[in-house]
Amino acid sequence: MKKTIQIPLGSQHISLLEPIRFKFECENEKIIGVDADVGFVHRGVELACTRSFEFKQVGYVVARVCGLCAITHSLSYTLAVEKLLGYEANDRIKYLRMLMVELDRIHSHMLCLAHTAENAGFEALFMQIMGDRELIMDVQEAISGNRVQFDYISIGGVNRDMTPELTALIHKNLRLLSDKIDALIGLFDNNWSLSLKYKGVGVLSLKDAYTYNALGPLARAAGLATDVRAETNDFPYETLGYQMILESSGDIHARNFVRLREIVNSMEICRNIIDNLPVGEIQEKAKGKPNGEAVVRVEAPRGELFYLVRGNGQNMLERVRIKTPTFSAIPAMMEVFKGSEYADAPAILASFDPCMSCTAK
Amino acid sequence: MKFFSAFRKKSPWVLHYNAGSCNGCDIEILAALGPKFDLERFGVINTGNPKQSDIFLVTGPVTYRSRERLVELYSQIPEPKVVVAVGSCTTTGGVFRGMYNVEDGIDRYIPVDVYVPGCAASPQLIIDALVKGLDVLEAKSKEIEHPFKLFGTIEMIGNKLSRLNMAKKVEQHEKN
Ligand code: SF4
Repeated sequence: MKKTIQIPLGSQHISLLEPIRFKFECENEKIIGVDADVGFVHRGVELACTRSFEFKQVGYVVARVCGLCAITHSLSYTLAVEKLLGYEANDRIKYLRMLMVELDRIHSHMLCLAHTAENAGFEALFMQIMGDRELIMDVQEAISGNRVQFDYISIGGVNRDMTPELTALIHKNLRLLSDKIDALIGLFDNNWSLSLKYKGVGVLSLKDAYTYNALGPLARAAGLATDVRAETNDFPYETLGYQMILESSGDIHARNFVRLREIVNSMEICRNIIDNLPVGEIQEKAKGKPNGEAVVRVEAPRGELFYLVRGNGQNMLERVRIKTPTFSAIPAMMEVFKGSEYADAPAILASFDPCMSCTAK
Repeated sequence: MKFFSAFRKKSPWVLHYNAGSCNGCDIEILAALGPKFDLERFGVINTGNPKQSDIFLVTGPVTYRSRERLVELYSQIPEPKVVVAVGSCTTTGGVFRGMYNVEDGIDRYIPVDVYVPGCAASPQLIIDALVKGLDVLEAKSKEIEHPFKLFGTIEMIGNKLSRLNMAKKVEQHEKN
């Protein structure tokens, strides 16, 4: 029998933003088994949504499940409740909601890229991407009043309107950003030292992606065509220039590239939204109490976000079930670790862009 | 000790721990370290090692499972240390207050020096808090360097330390 050693990573580690603990079973440098412990940040949001908050407040509470994709959480919850109330938002509201979701996707992807670069030992690139990301943060702050946790979406509409100055600001910042993203694409593609860390490392094959239920950029990097934006018709994504981004090699490099190209695509969607913004009210009355059960799926930056909301005609809901992308993708992540070098583990982990506060809720 | 305190003031190293936050404040800390807000101009470096840190940045309302780690990390940071609670949920529990797995703020477990409100706390506020934390750190290092800290107030005659009076106090203390 060969001897193996166990190496822990986490729960507190410089390369981790959030507490998660891995137990790697290593044979020399190779990882042959992984065990993950994700429950450090469990707070009990689901229960509190049905006990201590009324359904009108819950949208702002579920946003605090995760700061990075807060807007997708409040959007999915709001959509579910609106379905129960039998209310359909007008086009202007839909467009504004989409705009925020896409901006959020851009900044979340950029954070992930920065983090992957840092974990590959490229500190300067981390700083560069974080600096470029501020362009989007400025836009978000100007639109909603806060940099993260913007509480922009409420039941029956959105909380702030678009003004001509904002439109100009968005155009300006997106123009600046698109040059920088082009430069980043060149860098990620051609830089030799990055390619050593990324190309062929942490590979997830198409078959594995399918069997282990990979989601979001992780699946699309392996060539699995899955994207909720293309599968549902809650929002008019097709008319606004949405494209499914697919890569085939399934390694860290492919995941970075899916993210970079999705940023480009999202920027195009944002431009199309503000150029073709329909006129209309931004707040409409959605009357009544939620009664019945509704299921909503929305594409968060990390993959499919699933909400189930059940109400019984009261102010308090009966059940709120949140299934987050990272939670569903854990089996696929575990699979990628097996067979890779221990030294690559932080970079591989960062390239999944895991979100623990989503997972544990 | 004197030797180190000069560096400590110019270059405090921070340890960041997420005790159940929503990530909102964590990414704002990262943004504050990034080029736009540039915390590093104060010499601040984010370390992952409690033994080398001076300032403990905590986010999150302290979940049931992160309590021990929080206290463990706190006790591993060498004295003098400053604790900064970033975000509304860290200071009071915020939106998570009263949830079943949450302990409503970190000051139930460790003493906090600087509180930063806001959900999410903005990078500007985080910078202010760290600058404030530097003052606290300096005051604390002075206190530690004082040899008679254990025996109550300092005795002064005019503007000089009265060694005789203080030595008497020590004697008294040993007798009791
Ligand atoms: S204060 Fe708000 S944004 Fe910050 S960690 Fe807590 S819930 Fe998240």
